[in-house]
Amino acid sequence: MIQEIRDLVSEKLKKLDGVVALRKTDQGTAPTLFQEGDDVSQLVLEPRYPVAKTVSKLQKRFKDAKFGVVARGCDTRALVEMVKRHQIDPDRLYIVGMACSEEQAETCYCAEPAPDLDPWPEADLVGDPVPGAPPNPMVAEYENLSREERWDFWNQQFTKCIKCYGCRDICPVCFCDACSLEDPLWVEPGLLVPDFPMYHLIKAMHMTTRCVACRQCETACPAGIPLTVLYDLIRKDVGNLIGYIPGADADSGPPLSLTLADAPIDSELAK
Amino acid sequence: MTNSIPEFEDAKCVLITGSNTSEAHPMIGTRIMRAKEKGAQVIVVDPRTTQMSMMADLHLKQQPGTDVAWLNGVMQVIISEGLADQEFIKERTEGYEDLEAAVEKYTPEYVEEISGIPAEQLRQAAKMYAEAERASIVYAMGITQHTSGVDNVLSCANLAMLTGNVGRPSTGVNPLRGQNNVQGACDLGGLPNVYPGYQSVADPEVNHKFEEAWETELPDEVGLTVVEMVELAGTGEVKAMYVMGENPLVADADINHARESMKNLDFLVVQDLFLSETAEIADVVLPAASYAEKSGTFTATDRRVQLVHPAIDPVGESKPDWEIIQLLAEKMDAPGFDFASPEEIMDEIAALTPIYGGFSHKRLSNGNVLHWPCLSEDHPGTPYLHKGTFSRGLGKFHGIDFTEPAESTDETYPLILTTGRIMFHFHTGTMSRRSEKLNQEVSEAYVEMHPKDAEQIGLNGEKKVKVSSRRGEIKLAARVTDRIKPGVVFIPFHFAEAAANALTNSAFDPIAKIPEYKVCAVRVEAV
Amino acid sequence: MDYSNTQTICPFCGCGCALNLEVVDGEIVGVLPANDHPVGRGSLCIKGWNAHSFVQHEDRLKTPLIREDGDLREASWEEALELVADKLGSIKSEHGPDAVGVLASAKCTNEENYLLQKFSRAVIGTNNVDHCARL
Ligand code: SF4
Ligand code: SF4
Repeated sequence: MIQEIRDLVSEKLKKLDGVVALRKTDQGTAPTLFQEGDDVSQLVLEPRYPVAKTVSKLQKRFKDAKFGVVARGCDTRALVEMVKRHQIDPDRLYIVGMACSEEQAETCYCAEPAPDLDPWPEADLVGDPVPGAPPNPMVAEYENLSREERWDFWNQQFTKCIKCYGCRDICPVCFCDACSLEDPLWVEPGLLVPDFPMYHLIKAMHMTTRCVACRQCETACPAGIPLTVLYDLIRKDVGNLIGYIPGADADSGPPLSLTLADAPIDSELAK
Repeated sequence: MTNSIPEFEDAKCVLITGSNTSEAHPMIGTRIMRAKEKGAQVIVVDPRTTQMSMMADLHLKQQPGTDVAWLNGVMQVIISEGLADQEFIKERTEGYEDLEAAVEKYTPEYVEEISGIPAEQLRQAAKMYAEAERASIVYAMGITQHTSGVDNVLSCANLAMLTGNVGRPSTGVNPLRGQNNVQGACDLGGLPNVYPGYQSVADPEVNHKFEEAWETELPDEVGLTVVEMVELAGTGEVKAMYVMGENPLVADADINHARESMKNLDFLVVQDLFLSETAEIADVVLPAASYAEKSGTFTATDRRVQLVHPAIDPVGESKPDWEIIQLLAEKMDAPGFDFASPEEIMDEIAALTPIYGGFSHKRLSNGNVLHWPCLSEDHPGTPYLHKGTFSRGLGKFHGIDFTEPAESTDETYPLILTTGRIMFHFHTGTMSRRSEKLNQEVSEAYVEMHPKDAEQIGLNGEKKVKVSSRRGEIKLAARVTDRIKPGVVFIPFHFAEAAANALTNSAFDPIAKIPEYKVCAVRVEAV
Repeated sequence: MDYSNTQTICPFCGCGCALNLEVVDGEIVGVLPANDHPVGRGSLCIKGWNAHSFVQHEDRLKTPLIREDGDLREASWEEALELVADKLGSIKSEHGPDAVGVLASAKCTNEENYLLQKFSRAVIGTNNVDHCARL
């Protein structure tokens, strides 16, 4: 698969201004912008980084450029959410979609391990899509807990938080310049452990219609807090309530930007 | 550190003292949290409530400056309950009788009188630590920055040896170094008594080796420490100072005195990124390039040597420090400074420094993780020390008695001040306070005090206070919190405009010459 | 048009986390953790995440400065180094090498610390070299 992607990228670089992908050098591996003439044999697929954010940054800086990106399923979902929020211009983006392996899908509890390329004007898929993996068993376990147990669980987890903001900074769909987590009105600055539960609830609320289940916040969390258990639960509720699944559908706008009248609220559930 | 950072995760007991680990060494703090989730017991001995103490199984709040007493107490319990590792003591150590005799009188009840730690808690802590299969001690400046700093450190070593917690993974005595390359600055001879690799300047053989290599005569008398240099600048014996990337006028103890002394110098050169408080009084300021503009290596607190790569060109006309030193040496017609790159400098280091003997930039690339001692090109490095034997052969126990801190409280200065770091800033703040995000978390100095002490001085509403010691005074905000013991106040030292070190005592440990930052007597008044 | 990441080591505490500096056309715009590093394993603390923010700060010193009539003024490298060499040389010859004190740095690289102590010992001729490890 890797060779196929490298070849495709080389080919496309002739027409594009650059392709965002991971590069491995003797320093380590990180995202880079490959350009024509660059050594694509340095292009690799692991580990994961939030490339949607990189694409957004570069599109904003280079307003006429057309870039490509090597993207997994979660990356394309993030790209979709960013397009809806006007952080990415789909017409200036080409996507090399890569299908994740079964093993990768299981590690991420990923329901959609292959990128959905239908919404994109220009895209290719490399690799064979595998079926979705089963959900994180912690979510079901959690649902069996009583209200008090839930509170204790999160209290204990969030006491480990060192307020690095890494969960936000790594998140491929967090982009605001002014972040509520840094607003003294909501969260008292300079406190360690950060305000419980405000800090984490605000973050969670903001993820309800955005979290694309890439799990990168958990990788970035030094304290090992199972953040996506919380986000999975909330996404599930939102999905049940208004049928919105972040990253799944390019055509439906972000629900909170719709008026109630045109929101796809399932009237039965809303009661 | 005797052991490496990842090893913490598999410890069965971690004893943390004098370290606000999750704030000052976050990635070690979170490792210890993970160890706890895997079943380790965590003991914190600290006068303040910290994130680590909130998670700990036991939190002992000692009176600042009483560390030898409680450490002796822990050992007294271990010995009297038969929990000492006799086999380890017999095979790997000497001087056990001295220790036994010294700690005998430190019964938990006696220790309670000195330290305020309830006897029962001390017993519990001793058992927790001694009974664990792999126990690790973690400490930082809270142990070393005392007039009894060396005694404190030796006591930690005593405790680890007494229970055989040395020379195995996830054990050891682990001092956490505060700045990213303190370890390296020490390793590479930035000390008045040793050449790179802790080779003594007073050892004729060593001296000869360096004289040969550097093709010049070298001094064999131990030089001055920073504290002494500043002192002698005041008396005129030291005429010139050359300061590379340090800000002693915020970091030093009793900075008012230090400033007066350094102003007395005939010539002061400061090489830095910013016009620091020290650079402000310099005669010549040389603009240095930051870590992001140069290559080289840093050595982390667990002796891990890692490559630094330049991300951008030097800002303005600034130059990497190594280049500046080279240019200066050339100007002074000194041979031996014509390196083309830091890579070449590392080759010379490796040739002269046995513990760095196996390092080269090439070997360190590709994310290769190596801990010194690394004696040769094919040596695998040493994640944990003292396996099978100590560097001096047998580990030596030291019988140590508790001594009072240099300064005690009285009617005029009734509170004890202790200083330290917080999560959101770094050292003297020259870097971190220029970061918008870090500054928006905490932008000004503050003093933490207990509600009882706040009530005593009638603090309410507008919480501005004046804190004074026998050496100086500062004005700053008060944070009233029960995170701190009554009778003790805490000030982070990152803020030059309300510098904690205007208050601190420069009385220092007779051997390590570390000032007693962690204990001085102060008065707090509402203003 | 250029975007790349340079992997380096955090300038703050002694944990020694590796981090990536994100550079767009010569400007450091952000930090990414190093997912393949044994200490951080993809995470950093708030200081590491902001390790880029002071690097290109407007307060950075951009030229050497020399004190003249009580004030610091800009100077060329040539002039500044000449002055330092001259002064250190004359203080050494008048008062002996031990009249000079040198501070190495816990924030500089190993190579730089090595070179500075070599300078102190071999060029000035004094073991008066220390750093703020204790502070
Ligand atoms: S990544 Fe983890 S430790 Fe950092 S702010 Fe988020 S929850 Fe807290
Ligand atoms: S990221 Fe934080 S924990 Fe890691 S080295 Fe930097 S300051 Fe230390």
